[in-house]
Amino acid sequence: MHIERYEKLWIYAFVIMLAVFVAALMAGAILFNVRVPGSAGLINPANLDETAFANPGIHDMGDGNYEVYMVARMWSFQPSEIVVPEGAHVTFYVTSADVTHGFIIEHHNANLEVLPGVIGVTNTTFNTPGTFKLQCHEYCGRGHQMMHIDIIVEETEVALAANEE
Amino acid sequence: MQSVKPALQSTENDGRAFPLLSTIASEKWFIGAHIFVALAALSIGILLGPYQAFRRAPAFLLQIDLPVFSYYYQALTAHGVLNALVFTTFFIMGSSYFVVQRSLQRPLKSMQAAWVAFWLMTVGLLMAAFAIITGQASVLYTFYPPMQAEWTFYLGLALVIVGTWVGLADVFATYFDWRKEHPGQKVPLAVYAILCNFAMWFTASLGVAIEVLFMLLPMSLGLIDTTDVQVARILFWFFGHPLVYFWLIPAYVSWYTMMPKQLGVRLFSDTMGRVVFLMLMIFSIPIGVHHLYVDPGVSEAAKFMHALLTFVVAAPSLLTIFNLAATLERSGRKRGATGLLDWMWKQPWGNPVIVSQFGGMILFIFGGITGIMNASFNLNVALHNTTWVVGHFHTTVGGAVFMTYIGMLYWMLPMLRGRKLFWRWAATLQAYLWLGGMLIFGGSMGRAGLEGAIRRTDLAGQGAYISDAVAPWLNMSAFAGFLLLISAVLLYVVVIGTLFFSKEESENVAPLATEGPKDEYAPGIFEKWNLWVVVIIGSNIVMWLPVLLSAVDLVNGFWAVGNPGAAR
Repeated sequence: MHIERYEKLWIYAFVIMLAVFVAALMAGAILFNVRVPGSAGLINPANLDETAFANPGIHDMGDGNYEVYMVARMWSFQPSEIVVPEGAHVTFYVTSADVTHGFIIEHHNANLEVLPGVIGVTNTTFNTPGTFKLQCHEYCGRGHQMMHIDIIVEETEVALAANEE
Repeated sequence: MQSVKPALQSTENDGRAFPLLSTIASEKWFIGAHIFVALAALSIGILLGPYQAFRRAPAFLLQIDLPVFSYYYQALTAHGVLNALVFTTFFIMGSSYFVVQRSLQRPLKSMQAAWVAFWLMTVGLLMAAFAIITGQASVLYTFYPPMQAEWTFYLGLALVIVGTWVGLADVFATYFDWRKEHPGQKVPLAVYAILCNFAMWFTASLGVAIEVLFMLLPMSLGLIDTTDVQVARILFWFFGHPLVYFWLIPAYVSWYTMMPKQLGVRLFSDTMGRVVFLMLMIFSIPIGVHHLYVDPGVSEAAKFMHALLTFVVAAPSLLTIFNLAATLERSGRKRGATGLLDWMWKQPWGNPVIVSQFGGMILFIFGGITGIMNASFNLNVALHNTTWVVGHFHTTVGGAVFMTYIGMLYWMLPMLRGRKLFWRWAATLQAYLWLGGMLIFGGSMGRAGLEGAIRRTDLAGQGAYISDAVAPWLNMSAFAGFLLLISAVLLYVVVIGTLFFSKEESENVAPLATEGPKDEYAPGIFEKWNLWVVVIIGSNIVMWLPVLLSAVDLVNGFWAVGNPGAAR
């Protein structure tokens, strides 16, 4: 099969380009631990009350690590607000009690499809103080646009002062 | 171009006659019916686009009550289904029949079967449209369970797919007849591309057919209570990614085989064209998990494997850049270009057929680059379900595909109607407005997405959240919507004008290549269909079976024996 000379050079060039892209995303995954979210197992959405999702909320695991158990349902998240100190590393366990929902946090690399029957798990670190929206990003019915909560990241001094009082 | 008298050419063995260049009446009605339904569906779907752009912009937050579609998510469902599923499918089937008949110089094997296919698709469309318009199917065009639509929606979609199966079987039967009568010859490139497209489409649509017939339709009829949401999503995206190539390949057919003729030059490399279509047929299916990167129930290993293969499917599009650029260089040289790069602008910029296709190519540069970014595994975490994705697919399906189809329409419609294009300047202006509008729309939606705006959300609805960083970009997308609205109106002025008000007769010619290359550079392996069927089945078992198995837990999950949700 005949391939013209310049076309061959073009093919070499884009093969190298694509290889560099793949190397970059592997470096991101291995060296910087930027990973895609995964599963923490299956769950029966009708029986959430008998699981760790019976009392959705935030748990302090020490050393700046937190775990959040979160339930999405039409059209709210539980817990309905999350407060963490600056620098908190938070692991989210998220599932749905009814239809498919979404999970995305403004300006943070946390993004999940929230499916009934599956526990999704993702994690992120809140390095900047401020208020960030956690929104449902998958259409889930008439009230979909109402489904967002605040994640409040407090400055460390404030958090310390609050503890002292 | 010289006008050519209709010439009759009889094929050697069967004695049937099919005119060489002039289109015939039955063909006009048959192809025309497909294009009519496509344009009728598009006329509603296209107007709902600007409506949503206006409604989502903080400067407008449009609250008008349309007689139907006042509910944002209903309008969004109609926009996706009518534009991306119905307009495309009918246009693809119609234009593919046209290209196959013209290139092979023979009618379809069975016109009855082709009409059956048309009516199956049309009845399916009406059933799905009924469910959407009556507000019983506001599930968006991805229809993820367990949200449910009325059963007519699912059955309608299934009929559209079954209709395409009948049509593509007819096309393959026509090709195999031709093959028998032309031993040793290569099939024309356009037909090769269409065969690749249909082989890929048939394989891919099995996924959504299984999802609809065995999961969604029984649920909607009340035969089962619930379903496995993750497995349904996997089956959908087995189909969903090849779907975008099903849209794209006919545009490539136009770029590779019609545009060179329209420009008066030869395609740079027919053989590399075949390589491209073969690669698209094989590699567009075993990569669909890149739509599921943030799904909880799919293993990270499977996601990574599909990410790697997704980079392979970029190759045919990168090959296309070279082949088409080299072809356009020939066109520019023919028009007096002598320098290194001046061929780029020495092109017929006033010809709507050409400009519309160029617009599609320009938008596809952005669509392709953003597509590679979406496919980049962990990078997708920052982009998934933000308006960035909306920007991406409006430069691909709403850009490259749509503009090229409109270019094809401006080329085919005068031929089918027998009248010259009405208000040629308006058609050219339409193309430029669409190009400009979609560049602004794609850019502003992309930027809004990076600032955290989410897609598929009624931002004028009760309790919606719009951040300050996002607002100006959404306003800009509404401005783009205004340009696109003018462009859409012009499109229908040109179409209706050509059909009813154009007086001048058009040349009755269909200049499509009727034979493949005769040299040794196109090896016969391209048409070894037995081999490619094995490759397609094998690659998809390797790439998709682990995904399915990782999502199904036979002990604890939905499919476990005794799970009350599974069946009743």
